[in-house]
Amino acid sequence: MRVWRRLLAPGWLRVPWMTALFFGIGAGITVLVRWLEGWHPIWDGSIITTVELTTVPLGFLAGLGGFDYWLRYAAGSPTQPEDHSGHGARSWKDYFRINTDHKVIGIQYLVTTIVFFVIAGLLAMFMRAELARPGMQIVDNQTFNGLFSVHAALMIFLFVIPAFAGIGNYVIPLMIGAPDMAFPRLNALSFWLLPIAGLMMVSSFLAPGGAFAAGWTGYAPLSVHQPLGTVFFNMGVQWAGASSIMTALNFLVTIITMRAPGMTFWRMPLLVWANFTTSLLVVIATPFIAGSQFFVLFDRAMHTHFFDFSGGGYPLGYQHIFWFYSHPAVYIMMLPGFGIASEVISVMARKPIFGYRLMALSLMAILVLGFSVWAHHMFVAGMAPWLRVPMMVTSLVIAVPTGIKVFSWLATLWEGRIHFTTPMLFALGFVSMFVIGGLSGIYLAAVPIDIHTSDTYFVVAHIHYVLFGGSLFTIFAGIYYWFPKMTGRLYDERLGKLHFWLTFIGFNTTFFPMHWLGIHGMPRRVADYAPRFADLNLFISISSFALGASTLVFLYNMIKSWRFGPAAAANPWRSLTLEWQVSSPPPIFNFDEIPQVVGNPYEYGVPGARHAVFNGERVPEEVRVR
Amino acid sequence: MFGAVAAAVALLITWLPRSASEQADRIDFVFWFVTAICIAIFALVAAVIVYAVFNFRAGPDDDSDGPPVHGHTGLEIVWTAVPAVLVTAISIVSAVVLARNEHIPRAVAGSPNALKPLVVDVTAQQFAWLFKYPGYENATSSTLRLPVDTTVQLRLSALDVLHSFWVPEFGQKQDAVPGLVTKLVITPKRLGTFPVICTELCGLGHAVMRSEAEVMTAAKFEQWATSQKAGGGGGAPSAKTLFVSNGCNGCHTFKPAGANGKVGPDLDKLAEEARQAGKPLEEFIRESIVNPNAYVAPGYPKGLMPGTYAGLPQAQLDALVKFLADGSKQ
Repeated sequence: MRVWRRLLAPGWLRVPWMTALFFGIGAGITVLVRWLEGWHPIWDGSIITTVELTTVPLGFLAGLGGFDYWLRYAAGSPTQPEDHSGHGARSWKDYFRINTDHKVIGIQYLVTTIVFFVIAGLLAMFMRAELARPGMQIVDNQTFNGLFSVHAALMIFLFVIPAFAGIGNYVIPLMIGAPDMAFPRLNALSFWLLPIAGLMMVSSFLAPGGAFAAGWTGYAPLSVHQPLGTVFFNMGVQWAGASSIMTALNFLVTIITMRAPGMTFWRMPLLVWANFTTSLLVVIATPFIAGSQFFVLFDRAMHTHFFDFSGGGYPLGYQHIFWFYSHPAVYIMMLPGFGIASEVISVMARKPIFGYRLMALSLMAILVLGFSVWAHHMFVAGMAPWLRVPMMVTSLVIAVPTGIKVFSWLATLWEGRIHFTTPMLFALGFVSMFVIGGLSGIYLAAVPIDIHTSDTYFVVAHIHYVLFGGSLFTIFAGIYYWFPKMTGRLYDERLGKLHFWLTFIGFNTTFFPMHWLGIHGMPRRVADYAPRFADLNLFISISSFALGASTLVFLYNMIKSWRFGPAAAANPWRSLTLEWQVSSPPPIFNFDEIPQVVGNPYEYGVPGARHAVFNGERVPEEVRVR
Repeated sequence: MFGAVAAAVALLITWLPRSASEQADRIDFVFWFVTAICIAIFALVAAVIVYAVFNFRAGPDDDSDGPPVHGHTGLEIVWTAVPAVLVTAISIVSAVVLARNEHIPRAVAGSPNALKPLVVDVTAQQFAWLFKYPGYENATSSTLRLPVDTTVQLRLSALDVLHSFWVPEFGQKQDAVPGLVTKLVITPKRLGTFPVICTELCGLGHAVMRSEAEVMTAAKFEQWATSQKAGGGGGAPSAKTLFVSNGCNGCHTFKPAGANGKVGPDLDKLAEEARQAGKPLEEFIRESIVNPNAYVAPGYPKGLMPGTYAGLPQAQLDALVKFLADGSKQ
């Protein structure tokens, strides 16, 4: 009986048989429909795989217990009183369960995304190994196309976007003085969609014909006619996108409704502002990429003709829908980084953030403008010619709010008392590298230059300056900055600085020469190139291996410090924001007393200024179980 | 100082390929215009950061805070307004250059050419380029040949997926889209041979989808085009022309056709392959064209070769089979 009970209870024992059951359901439905309709062959592996990519993850989630509460509710069973047994981590095993504590989920997010970051980085190493010399040496063409496609898809959908969601998950409720996110069960579910999406994309290498190889952009009509691996991308994006949307809704509701007394919008830390705008972007834009991938899937599996001109479809339609998400996605991957940089720079320079309100408003400006620039990815695509100049103007105008942010950070540094800790180094590295990425963006926004440089290594250099020099540097800054809060331990400062310098130098020697390659005629996404580019490519490959090796320093520092680092005080950075006013790590429900917010979050240097006070009001007993 | 360093980096390295068209000259102008602005901004940012790093460093035990400056309205207006002016300037310069780069001079009355500007129809397919000259009775070529100092309009189309036409020295690029005709204007100004590169990921052979653009004197071009017209005009096209116009040369090596593609199997070894497949040579060739997946040469993935050749007219198919069989027997 006990065995039965454990097999039926949510958890890893229920996962295998539930997954198998849903596999059977998926296969059964497909075969039944094909048999009823008389389609031959009745057992079609590629169609069954397509359906299984929906049903198997559902089985996995059901087994793990992702739906138990809602199903019980829907079935009309008596509500079970919440005993908070699935909340908070008491041992390492709790990180491998459905857990409703935003702090546990934040760490689940970060560890998972770093795993996929390492995998995606290794794929890039394979690419650079192939590109070290002209001609084909290590992999064949299809594999190479798979390598860069999976590399980009993992980095974007399984690393940068969810890593920011992970940091936000941990920090945002603490920063606004809330005991948790607004929807803890939804939060748990949105995390568990991520490993599904990631494994799906990685496992596409095992599909017959190899991994999806039409690039992370998956342009139709090429993607419609690619081997089965493409479906793993189409569906992987759906799972990652659903995760993104659910988290964004959760952030929005949390930020709007759960701020502590006195925490007005104009008293919110800029990271909260950044996550607020990012979440708006996610909620509005992400459904479009979901749509574009479903269209491709339908064109492939159901023989619709959305993008097939011979059937009356419109090939450029894919690009319009795709970029309507994927350009705002650039800001989804950048605005939280702006927030992290603002937190770190203000605290480490011991000065109030310069022009706080304009900083918040420029985030909103980027949000609005971000939806009006998507076609700058399509200047050579063959779209309506009149659309180009307006899209160029809106794209260039984004430089204005972005410039405001950069200049305000510089002004914050001015006359500060700057402490060059590892997070500060990464934040300053971010500002300088992001400026280069932003300026090369001006070249790409200017239509005549874009016509020359589009789809070349210049673009590769640009996106890496924005997403590596921009997003990744701020993710590192955030991880180092909140590491003491998350783990209760201090990281090794010397290793952290070593990591920064290795990354900073390796990053520049890897990506800066790519500008030149692109302008001189090396297109992107090629496994082979003209012999005259050989020397520079070899140099880039060697640099990229050094850059890859620098990650080992980071991983070693994280693992070592998490286990053996010295205990961290509640507020090692002497920060004013709320997350540093509780112990490290924080209590399970964050605050034993309800904080009363009385001032702005960055009042460094103002004598006697407080962001929040704890006035002794106790948090009600019923939410303080354990 | 940082401006000087950045300017040195900008000037000492040959950043731009040597221009070979009037359009590229104008693009280079925009490039340097933007670069000057960008260097100024980057120098400012770098200078402030480095100055701050050296001058505002807190000592190890310095727990003091900086001055509580919350903002400065005047400064904030300046760094909103100045970038706004700069991007407006860049927009105007770019828009003007774009318009001039796409301008086609009107036909000059009494000019020797019936079609002015010269029109070239570019057909892209996996993984080959085909150039057709409607002004010369649709003479075809697998390399692009252009007369110098003449404005050329390319009309691009694609048979299967997206491709993109780019000649770095011309500075001009345009996607070829199935079902659409897209256009591109080029005015070559320098003799020479330049690479034609596909820049839009189009599948397996994307990296080798290359051709050449040869800019020749007007007289030489006229001579070449007229000879092509004579060769291609009237009667059935030769099998060699068929081989090129169907894009076989994009993927396959075949000496009699002067093809050296590397994506698919080497067709000079057809006789050997037929023996391995255990079929008579001609039958094997016909089947491989019409139904490429019936026998796949070892080391190549199934489904690589397009199945669209099943629709070739019977006469053309026969001619190709004969051409291939004869060529590979030698």
